[in-house]
Parts: sequence; structure tokens; C-alpha cells
Amino acid sequence: MADTKKVAVVHEGKAGRRIAIGACVVFLVIFLVLPLVYILAVAFSDGWLGYKKAVTDEYAVKATLLTLLATVVALAINTLMGLCAAWAVTKFSFRGKKILTTLIDLPVTVSPVIAGLIYVLTFGRQSFLYPYLEKAGIKIIFAVPGIILATVFVTFPFIFRELVPVLTAEGTDEEEAAALMGASFFTIFRKVTFPHMKWALLYGMVLCTARAMGEFGAVSVLSGHLRGKTNTLPLYIELLYQGYDFTGAFACSSILMIFAIIVLILRSALEARGKTEKNV
Amino acid sequence: MGSNEKSTIELRHIVKYYGDFRASDDVSLTIEGGRLVALLGPSGSGKTTILRMIAGLEHPDGGEILIDGQVVNDIPGSERGIGFVFQSYALFRYLTVYENIAFGLRLKKWPEKKIRERVFELLKLIGCEGLEKRYPGQLSGGQRQRVAFARALAPSPKILLLDEPFAAIDAKIRLELRSWLKEMITKLGITSIFVTHDQDEAIEVADDIVVTNHGRIEQVGTATELYTKPATPFVVQFIGHSTPIRNFTEFRSFFKGQENEIGILRPEYVEVKKITEVVRYSNSADIGYVRDIIFRGSNLEIKVDIHGNTISAIRSINEEPLEIGEKVWVFIYRMFVIDDRKVELRENASLREDSLVI
Repeated sequence: MADTKKVAVVHEGKAGRRIAIGACVVFLVIFLVLPLVYILAVAFSDGWLGYKKAVTDEYAVKATLLTLLATVVALAINTLMGLCAAWAVTKFSFRGKKILTTLIDLPVTVSPVIAGLIYVLTFGRQSFLYPYLEKAGIKIIFAVPGIILATVFVTFPFIFRELVPVLTAEGTDEEEAAALMGASFFTIFRKVTFPHMKWALLYGMVLCTARAMGEFGAVSVLSGHLRGKTNTLPLYIELLYQGYDFTGAFACSSILMIFAIIVLILRSALEARGKTEKNV
Repeated sequence: MGSNEKSTIELRHIVKYYGDFRASDDVSLTIEGGRLVALLGPSGSGKTTILRMIAGLEHPDGGEILIDGQVVNDIPGSERGIGFVFQSYALFRYLTVYENIAFGLRLKKWPEKKIRERVFELLKLIGCEGLEKRYPGQLSGGQRQRVAFARALAPSPKILLLDEPFAAIDAKIRLELRSWLKEMITKLGITSIFVTHDQDEAIEVADDIVVTNHGRIEQVGTATELYTKPATPFVVQFIGHSTPIRNFTEFRSFFKGQENEIGILRPEYVEVKKITEVVRYSNSADIGYVRDIIFRGSNLEIKVDIHGNTISAIRSINEEPLEIGEKVWVFIYRMFVIDDRKVELRENASLREDSLVI
């Protein structure tokens, strides 16, 4: 009696498994694989030479470099600020901590377009800051600093969010133990705190990179779409697309796609290493 | 090994607040050099706070901490000559056992050769030879505790502080580690203080026990002193397995009593006999009924209903077995009588008469 019941349950489980996996596969094929294959198909529709020409186009190269620049700078700033913010929030208690944590999450909840507009209003012609900025010769809106600013804003929470749970879980015992033995702040950070959050930090950096490369909305508002000057790769792709240059648009998309795949591989490699180390 | 000078620790009128909570309330305490002292008390009684203040991990809001006669309030913990074993051990999990033990020595810029000698000397002492390349995550609970102990001892501290050193270990290994730790500390002769909420642990391991309650020190003494001469009502109730008896005057031969007095009874003061057995002081024994019998391995705990109370007694497994519901003689040798402030040990009146006869 009991045995037949067990078998029935297992069969149900099997059917459920098939349905769940099947649904996932169908979904992935329709929403991800098909479009990706289509991108490549269109990118190569004029043959290899057409693809090469589109990818090595002067403006395409400039857009790629600008995207990389914005990504690298955003990554550097966010790593530093994410570390500071996560450290401050987890190791000290102070007034307004809750507000700070909520504010840090703001970029995730606010639409990127609005984020872009906020900066246009803050640093643009209407702003009270504008005369001072102009006097100092600093151009933010419709220039590279604006693009970087937008990218930093949109990607800020990623590293912070990865670090906070790890630092919270760790507690302060190990740090206290090291301090009691006479270790300085930097020794404690280097030997105790950093190894602990290394994987979380790298993982946050990967997420930050991925998001920074693909950012469209906020950058679009701040960029001004100056070809070869303030066009990032996603903006450039849109421009080509609007001009009915499908081969060019899709060829450039494939560059972003390659970046994305590299980031994904990095991510799973990091996850795997982080896991094995945790099991040690 | 270790330093031969034995450090004394003195606390003078220490006060410590956490917000409105008074964690230490005028704590004064002297710990002689080379003693192994337990800070014993219920959770929230301020025992860990005292330990952390001696270590310099917390700063008192008032009073003085002296080590070897020198006020150390403004000296950082790292310069007080202290080894600290954390409750969770706080081993550096990304460093090997070797590097964990060597950590403090590297900070003191010991030459590599001396570090090596010291680490292996300690590994031998704690019986963990061959584990030096392991990470803390690869050790058992007991091994972790030993390594934490070795790490604390590595720079030859004058004082060893241990915060609930056995709390995170399962019961069986805990007993083994207790005697191991006592042996180690006695061998090294280093002044040591450990925090515990487990009285058995304090009694077994410590030379002296400091009982804390509500941020104050209730009593300092050896285990025997705490048992036989409890200084405060709290100590009477906290030490041993005590049952409060409100109507103790109803018991035979315990007739005197004030309105606000409570009797405190311990199992070892109670004798339970079968009605058929011979009872020496039958005129001062009470009648009770067996409510429950609990097998404790080496003996039996008998719970007896008597005068509206349920009291515990110990009975040897060699004696004739009792049954639940059985009517029995209950003879009470002595009990503590407490009011709000004072403690008094009262003997069964018939014992005194007996001694007079002799």
C-alpha cells in the first residue's frame, strides 16, 4: 500500500519536473536564444566583410571605447564608494543609517530616464550651479562627464548590496581578536576583513560592469547623441537602427553581446571559486 | 614557558552603562596572581562586560581597572598583556592554523625562526601537531577551541581571558575540554578569568568563583564556600538545585519563621525513606507522597509532594525501589532561610538535640 503511494508520488514528481524544465526551455528559446541567433544572422547578412566594416567603423570604435571608459570609471568609483558605504553601514551605528541604506537603493527603483533628467536639471542651463560650472569650464551635460555620472548613478547599488550581507554576517569578533593582538586598521582590513568579502566584492563588480556597459536610459538623456563624442555603444546601436542600418546595428550589438558573455563567464567562474573556498 | 610573574587584576568601583542599562554597578574585585577565576551569573548579569572591560574591548564609565597595580583604563587592550579567547573563537578563517597562532607574533615582529619554534611548541602543547596547514573550517569544535587557546597564549600574555569557552561545543567534548583547560592553565600558572553561565563548569574548573547578578558582584569564593556559606539570597537560589518553600514552618522541626522569609531546599539536604524503613528521627520526619522518579544514571532523583510543595531528593539506586504514589518518610536535615537581604542556614531541630545527647 505504502509502496504504491510512493511510486505515484515519484511519477507525479517526474511529470512536474518535465513540465517545469520544458516551460523554462521554451521560454528561453523564444525570449533569448532566438533573438540572439537572429542578431548574429542579421549582423552577418552582408557577409563577413560587411560585419567587419560595420564593427571597425570609426564611430563604432569610438562608441565602444567610450562605453569601456564609462564602465571602467563607474566600476572604480562604485567599488570605492560601495566599500565605504557597506563598511559604514555594517560596522558602525549612527543616526540616519536607515535613510542612507534606503537612499543607496534608490537607483534601482527609479527609472533610468528620470535619473538622467535629475542630472540635466541639476547641472544643466536651468540650474543655479550652471554659471559656476561654466566659469570653471566644466561641462557635464551632453559631454563625457555626464555619461560617466549617469553610469555611476545607475550602477551604484550593486557592489554595496553584495557586500552588506557578507559584512553583516561576519560580525566583529575576528576584527576584535586581531585588534587585541595589536593589529592596525589596515592590517585588520587586509588579513581579516578583505579575504572574507573578496568574492562578494568581485561578484558585485561583475554585476556593476554588466549593468554599466548596457546602460541606455540615463545616458541617453545626458549624452546629447554627438556621434564620435558622446555616443556610447548602446546609443550608437539605436542610432544605426533608426537609420535603417540593420547590419551595422546588429553587428555592434554583437560586440556588446560578446562583452556580456565574457562577464557571464567571469561570473560563474567567480561563483564556483567562491563556493569551493567557502567549503574549505 | 610563559612569563613567570603572576599578574594581579583589580577592579575599583567600576560602572558601565549601555544606554540606560546598567551593565556594571559599582563592581570591585581583586584577583590574585595565578588564580583561575570564573565569572558566573545568569545572562545579562554583566559578567561578559567585566571581562571585555579588563581586555580593553569596552571602556568603563567610571572606576579604575588595575593590572599589577597600574591603572590601565587608558591603555589599549593590545598593550595590556592579555590573551583573549572569544566565545565563537574568532579564528581567522582565511588563515591556516599556523598563521592564526603566528598572527600576534608577526605583529610583534618576531623573527621567522622564533615564530616557527613558538607555533610548533604551542601546537604540541594543545595536542594538535600536524594540523598547522589546516584552515579553521577544517577543524572540529574542540580543535578550534584549542587553537584559539594557543593563539591567545602565543605572545606569552600575563593574563588569559576566556568568554564562555565551552558554550559552542557539544556536551561530550565539553567535559573533556574542561579538564584539559584546567590542566593547561594550572600548568602555565597564568592568571585566568573565564565567563560562564553554567555552575557545574565554574565549580569544576575554577579556583574561585565570582557570582554576578544585575551588574553587581554577589559573592566571591570557592565552590565550597558558595555552597555552604552563600552570602546573599541570590547565591542561595542560584547555586545548586534549589526549591523555594514558602510554608517551610509547616515542616516538622522548622517552626520559627518571619512573615517574609522563604525556605530554600536542596536535594542533598533531603532524605526519603520507605514507611517500612527505620527512620532515626521519626518524630521530626514528615509524610510525603512520591510524585515522580527520575533515573539520573548514578542515582535517582525522587520528586515528593509534601505540604503543597514538590521537592527533590536524591536516593541511591542500591536502596529498595520506590513507586510513584507511595507514601514515604521525608526527613529534612537543613535548609536555607532567606528574606530580602540575609541568608541563614537552619538545621532540623532534632539534630541539635541529638548532638546535645552525644
